[in-house]
Amino acid sequence: MYPLEMFMVTTALLFLFGLVALVMKRDLVRLLIGIEILFNAANLLFVALSTQTPGMIDPFPQSIVMMALVLDGTVIAVGLALALNVFKHYKTFDIKKLRKLKW
Amino acid sequence: MVGQGIISQGLQLPLPILITLLGGMATPFIGLISDKMKLKLTDFWMVLVSALSLYGVYTLYDQVSKATNHVLLIYSWGQAPPLSGCFEIDMLGVYMAFSIGLLSLLVSVYSISYMEHESRVTEFNTLVIFMVAGMYGIVMSGDLFTLFVFWELMGLASYVLVSFLKRNWGPIEAGFKYLVMSATAGAFLLLSMALIYGMTGSLNLAVLASTMRGVPMTPWTILIFATLIVGFGVKSAIVPLHTWLPDAHPEAPSPISALLSGIVIETGLYALTRVLYIAFEPGFFKVPIATLAIVTMTVGNLLALRQDDLKRMLAYSSIGQVGYMLIGISTGLTYGLLGTFLHIFNHALMKGMAFLSVGSIVHETGTRDINKLRGVGRMMPWTTLSIFVAFMGLGGVPGTSGFISKFILFNASLGAGVSILALAGVLNSTLSMAYYLRVLVALLSKKTEETIEAKEAPILMVGVVMVMAVLIIVLGFYPSPIVGIASDASKSLIEGINNYIGAVLY
Repeated sequence: MYPLEMFMVTTALLFLFGLVALVMKRDLVRLLIGIEILFNAANLLFVALSTQTPGMIDPFPQSIVMMALVLDGTVIAVGLALALNVFKHYKTFDIKKLRKLKW
Repeated sequence: MVGQGIISQGLQLPLPILITLLGGMATPFIGLISDKMKLKLTDFWMVLVSALSLYGVYTLYDQVSKATNHVLLIYSWGQAPPLSGCFEIDMLGVYMAFSIGLLSLLVSVYSISYMEHESRVTEFNTLVIFMVAGMYGIVMSGDLFTLFVFWELMGLASYVLVSFLKRNWGPIEAGFKYLVMSATAGAFLLLSMALIYGMTGSLNLAVLASTMRGVPMTPWTILIFATLIVGFGVKSAIVPLHTWLPDAHPEAPSPISALLSGIVIETGLYALTRVLYIAFEPGFFKVPIATLAIVTMTVGNLLALRQDDLKRMLAYSSIGQVGYMLIGISTGLTYGLLGTFLHIFNHALMKGMAFLSVGSIVHETGTRDINKLRGVGRMMPWTTLSIFVAFMGLGGVPGTSGFISKFILFNASLGAGVSILALAGVLNSTLSMAYYLRVLVALLSKKTEETIEAKEAPILMVGVVMVMAVLIIVLGFYPSPIVGIASDASKSLIEGINNYIGAVLY
């Protein structure tokens, strides 16, 4: 049984960093990195919680983390493909220039 | 023998999911063959797969109604739940799967004509089949992680489909916005799953229902509730989280708009309803959901009033309709849930039909601006008739199926003692007629020199919307078959919750 508090705090901080990156950053690729940080925060919490069953390490959350890594990898891949298409149309990665649609 | 074994006794999947997944994997190869033979085989393959999966839903209905307590549990050999992933299908799952199957069949017939002149039809069909597979998986899964996997499958397919017409800047920008918001919501969903795992030690819905229901309110339960609302709320366009929808739905190709507005956001709403009713007592979430309902329908309808873009107006109207559906969830009564699920089915038909008919107009005239479409309706009588039926249904005029479900919803909110919800709902319905009638006035006004020349849409597109119009009117006058199935479905969340738990745990 590892102490859980440090992992909880780290998860909260990572989530905060991810959200700040999503709100503050203007670069499309950095936005995707922010999403990746959010996913990894949740994965970290899963792995930390898997050690909390007395006497064993639960393999169930770890298998979930494996699947979740694949899933968020595919999402990011589609996002990068879309970012490339954005670059073809706008010649920039700056999110502030993508204002043709009403927000 | 439940489901269908691939390697005898090995992997078991419910029949509709198996058909759509295998069908989706086979589509690129069929596309290769059809390119060689200069035929359009993939379109017919998509119709075939959708029809077969609808048949699969029917066999599933047969199995579920014969199963003990009307709950069917499907899992791979040697991996019994609650330790591993499983599919747990009750009447609600079958009902939602029926709505999905019906709309996807109609849309796949429609898109044969609509996508005729587009390139990359094979990719389009593959993605549509996988999106439908994802939705089937969501409504049938019996634990949160299986739900999450299919959630992401549906999401991935829909991001690419929104930005499918990539030669224009609009779809790309809308698709990227949709992806960023939905992926963030997915991360919130994963976080809520981690917290739920930390509280209960399992992600199986039946285990959650037996351990997490009725625990006293702590900061952790409130955090789980909030992350669940954000996680599911973005896909189902609940108001502070709706901003992607009015961009993404209009920019997608029209068959995809119909699928997204008609059933994808409702699948999100289904997942929210299922998890909320499984994990919390109705008293816990009544007030927040009722607040969200009022805000969602008011904002959706008010913003729809000032749109000039026809499809964008329909997208805002979808947000308003999600607000009506939330009313039923907030009541916590079986009758209210009956209204919600009935409205999900009716909205799938009505909004699907509205988007498909508007798609016919866009296909023939090439514009979506209401002011430029003056008098076009006189040249496309059948399409205008179907738009009329769809809008009357969405506004809740008696004689259409939309009236029945709205009546049940408002009645249920009165029954739950929250008359302000019924008041807000009725006022919003009146408000919504204002923008529906504006479109009809524009379409039917006299021809001028500026009127765009148009002719009636191809027979296949008109035929599909006519079938939907007939369904809406027939279900408006004779609603008992669908109301019967919907009331079975809504019972499974409140009275049938012990059967749902019992199928896994005892």
